[in-house]
Amino acid sequence: MRILCLLKPVPDVDQLRYDRERNILVREQARLLLNPEDATAAATALGLKRVAPETYIEAVSMAPRGAMPHLEDLVRRGIDRATLLSDPRHAGSDTWVTSRVLARYLSTQDYDCVFCGTHTLDGGTGQVPAQVAEVLGLPLMVGVSTLVELDPRARQAVVEVEGEAALMRFSLELPAVLGFQYNAEHKLPHIRYADLTRDVSERVAVLGNRELRMDEAELGLRGSLTQVRRIEADALEAKDPLRLRGDREGIDQVYHWLEQKGFLQP
Amino acid sequence: MKRMLVYIDEEAVDDSIKLLEVGRLLYGDQGFRSYALAAGGRIGEAGSRFDCVFRASHGPVPNYDSATLARCIETLHQTYGFDAIVVPGTHGGRMIAPRAAMRLRAGLVADVTGVGLNGDDVLMVRPAFSGRMLATIVCRGGGPVMMSVRPKVFTYLEPALKTAEFVEVDVRDARLPGVRLIERREQAEARDIRESKVLVAGGGGAIHDFHLLERLAKALSGMVAASRKAVDLDRAPRTIQVGQSGKIVRPRLYIAVGISGSAPHVAGIRNAEYVISVNQDRHAPICSLSDIAVEGDGRAFLEGLLERIEAPRTKIHGGRE
Ligand SMILES: Cc1cc2nc3c(=O)[nH]c(=O)nc-3n(C[C@H](O)[C@H](O)[C@H](O)COP(=O)(O)OP(=O)(O)OC[C@H]3O[C@@H](n4cnc5c(N)ncnc54)[C@H](O)[C@@H]3O)c2cc1C
Ligand SMILES: Nc1ncnc2c1ncn2[C@@H]1O[C@H](COP(=O)(O)O)[C@@H](O)[C@H]1O
Repeated sequence: MRILCLLKPVPDVDQLRYDRERNILVREQARLLLNPEDATAAATALGLKRVAPETYIEAVSMAPRGAMPHLEDLVRRGIDRATLLSDPRHAGSDTWVTSRVLARYLSTQDYDCVFCGTHTLDGGTGQVPAQVAEVLGLPLMVGVSTLVELDPRARQAVVEVEGEAALMRFSLELPAVLGFQYNAEHKLPHIRYADLTRDVSERVAVLGNRELRMDEAELGLRGSLTQVRRIEADALEAKDPLRLRGDREGIDQVYHWLEQKGFLQP
Repeated sequence: MKRMLVYIDEEAVDDSIKLLEVGRLLYGDQGFRSYALAAGGRIGEAGSRFDCVFRASHGPVPNYDSATLARCIETLHQTYGFDAIVVPGTHGGRMIAPRAAMRLRAGLVADVTGVGLNGDDVLMVRPAFSGRMLATIVCRGGGPVMMSVRPKVFTYLEPALKTAEFVEVDVRDARLPGVRLIERREQAEARDIRESKVLVAGGGGAIHDFHLLERLAKALSGMVAASRKAVDLDRAPRTIQVGQSGKIVRPRLYIAVGISGSAPHVAGIRNAEYVISVNQDRHAPICSLSDIAVEGDGRAFLEGLLERIEAPRTKIHGGRE
């Protein structure tokens, strides 16, 4: 069985600092991490490989070259191959372009299933899996909380989705695109000590537009169908809180505040 | 006259109908003709809110059949030439909209929380970076403007009463096999935390105190909510998780006990009117977003406050005896 995992390194949002003077989010110092839901997807694939060692897993990411260490790291954790789609002409791509680039590469590959996250932390549009599925004409399910079964012979995947109102179980015809929800139980395995410095260069590749051969007018900012006009800090003013201690006096003050604001029924 | 199509998700009919507000904000009450795609069969009050309602002619097409619905939207667009296509940000909607946008070569903005016009440009506002920033986005190219909208963000207060024309659309040619629902278990019908005026939320620092949170919520006629930490540790169901990957809430009062205030959590409580936080760490990020920041142990606070709230009542009962 061959699984392609779509993975995106994203800046750690908790480390982003907002520069009030310049009205920008300072991303430079923020460390990149693998989008947590994508890590769930990759960890799920590695879990299948543990049971069925013949499973072949390839990680695919469209990102600047700086993402390479993340991909190498995944190979050291047991992923068979990693492909970075990287080209200066990709800069500024929206999800429409991103999906088409990813789908372009996927269309040259053989696979039984495509694993992704449901959303990314930074952009968080959650559009890429659906758009990749549409370009490739594949069945799709996002918000997957559990992969119940992946059977390449019956050409079927069974997944569970924890919806608002119900827990649903779906079957999808393979190949299909599955978007996973973050699941704290599916963590990437640690790198074994012996693998820490393993040379994995044979198992990673970088492909640019020279290889993918897409029309340049359809790439990057120029090819995008959406355009960010403005980005600003949400007008969430840091408040100047009333600071209290959790002692009798503090609790009393909270009580009176609740009473005064009408939160306590008479 | 502008034309706007709204996808009606059969599992969120009322919320879908409220997306008419997007058209009203953009084009004015009289400025657009409204179309509803109710392929899932359930239409709620759509028949008296829209000018035109599309239904599937040969049995309903469920909201998870995104490939078919995307083709259906494409076909309708070819006939009607919509200016805007608006889809609720439900589980189904979030699969349908991107597929339809891909087919229509249309720009799509996800999770829209505000709209406006600038000349002819439709401006769409959405949170980015876990809600720490707001991005204003426009669509380029000739296609319709497409957006998926955060549930419960727009309310349509004074809907005009209309008598919709019903049109049957034949989707048999568009039907792609591929996804089948094989089992569905309803979750226990619970009140939605988004509808509660008071939320008492617990996080990593309150995982053993949910019974106390429950009591306080009851005393304040509110509901219990949770951070993802509490959900991941199985202390609370996912349906009450607040935040970027949970629910966006807008209570009058949000009490956060043992919650640090990480960006994805805070993304869910920006619209709370008042926040009270209880945390051992006076530097926890939640504090600077609070109206009252109590420094101390969560359990001691809950017990103390409950005692204070419940005390006078006990006295009254005592008096009656
Ligand atoms: C993709 C993604 C999406 C996410 N979406 C969400 C989301 O929707 N909602 C969400 O909540 N999180 C979300 N998170 C997780 C988020 O990043 C944080 O990990 C999470 O919010 C932390 O929860 P917490 O603050 O309750 O717990 P912790 O980080 O464990 O913090 C516990 C807090 O309690 C305090 N404390 C400890 N003991 C006590 C005590 N006895 N009394 C008082 N205070 C005490 C500590 O000082 C600390 O501030 C997401 C993360 C990712 C990666
Ligand atoms: N640049 C990218 N490279 C590889 N996978 C991506 C990329 N962008 C998005 N994805 C995949 O699509 C999912 C949803 O992303 P998004 O639509 O950006 O929220 C992610 O969790 C990834 O699995």
